[in-house]
Amino acid sequence: MNLDALVEALPAYAKDLKLNLSSLVRNQTELTPSQLWGTVVASAVASRNRELTQAALAEASVQAPEVVEAAKSAAAIMGMNNIYYRFTHLVSNEKYRSLPARLRMNVMRSHGASEVDFELWCTAASAVNGCAACVDAHERTLREKGVTEEVVAAAVRIAAVIHAAATVLDAEQAVAAAASA
Amino acid sequence: MLGVGEEFPVYSLKATVSTDLKKAFTTLTHQDFAGKWKVYFFWPKDFTFVCPTEIAAFGKLNSEFESRDAVVLGGSTDSEFVHLAWRQHHEDLKNLPFPMLADIKRELCETLGILDAKEGVALRATYIVDPQGIIRYVSVNDLSVGRNPQEILRVLDALQTDELCPCNWQKGQATLHPA
Repeated sequence: MNLDALVEALPAYAKDLKLNLSSLVRNQTELTPSQLWGTVVASAVASRNRELTQAALAEASVQAPEVVEAAKSAAAIMGMNNIYYRFTHLVSNEKYRSLPARLRMNVMRSHGASEVDFELWCTAASAVNGCAACVDAHERTLREKGVTEEVVAAAVRIAAVIHAAATVLDAEQAVAAAASA
Repeated sequence: MLGVGEEFPVYSLKATVSTDLKKAFTTLTHQDFAGKWKVYFFWPKDFTFVCPTEIAAFGKLNSEFESRDAVVLGGSTDSEFVHLAWRQHHEDLKNLPFPMLADIKRELCETLGILDAKEGVALRATYIVDPQGIIRYVSVNDLSVGRNPQEILRVLDALQTDELCPCNWQKGQATLHPA
């Protein structure tokens, strides 16, 4: 299903999400198209619903290929960093923060998209994955690069609604699977 | 001996790349493989005992080095024809996936400072050179002691693993700026 159809098919109990999604995606004024679709892709990948990821990638494919690749890279590498660094900040023993992570993350340097865009996508993925330290660090980097809070909030808003849509789709797919079993 | 932080020397050498006489020889210079990491490893003499096991071991790990954007280049002070004969002769070297440099004038090994003073041939030296041509790792064994290519791979991994994520920022530190 394409993204519009997927959103349209969201159940009645998720009407707020349906409306939020369509206005955030279709009436977007704060993010550039690459920022918007990269955020949608990164958030969808991070939220781990198959249908939503497929729809997001299909819709985003009109963007430059390096945008889509880089957005996927952001979600991929945040999938790792959000776990590792969330741990180091959750645990009371501060020693972990000074141990070398020994995790390759070279794509953060070689992603090929704009620096600001990539940081936005990382922030969105980190928001979905719930790593406080990561969210803090990426937000700070964005502001240093001159990005306003409004733009960051716009990206996180999308991450929030995409994530919510993913949970609803998971639930609906579970129901459908049980019905056809 | 040239060490970490120094520029790998300028060179232009014949190299043997296969067992087919028609296609075996090429010329390689320090400017080839731009943008890649380079793993140079030298051995004393072709046709001796320790060398083939090491070289074949590097060959088996070649795809791992490739995945890490690294090119493996073997070398000794033997000529390109001796390299060819050795590759043709030894079962483990027939399909070696990387070139053997022929430093027959000993200029590269001399500049590197890895010639054994008594024997005049290369010691078992290994260099990891970054895409900017800077030496980032060097190790040298005496003539009779073989190397562990897995260890070289480990070092390459470590050299390539940078904590680029601002997530690692500690209060009070300057922020990371990915290049």
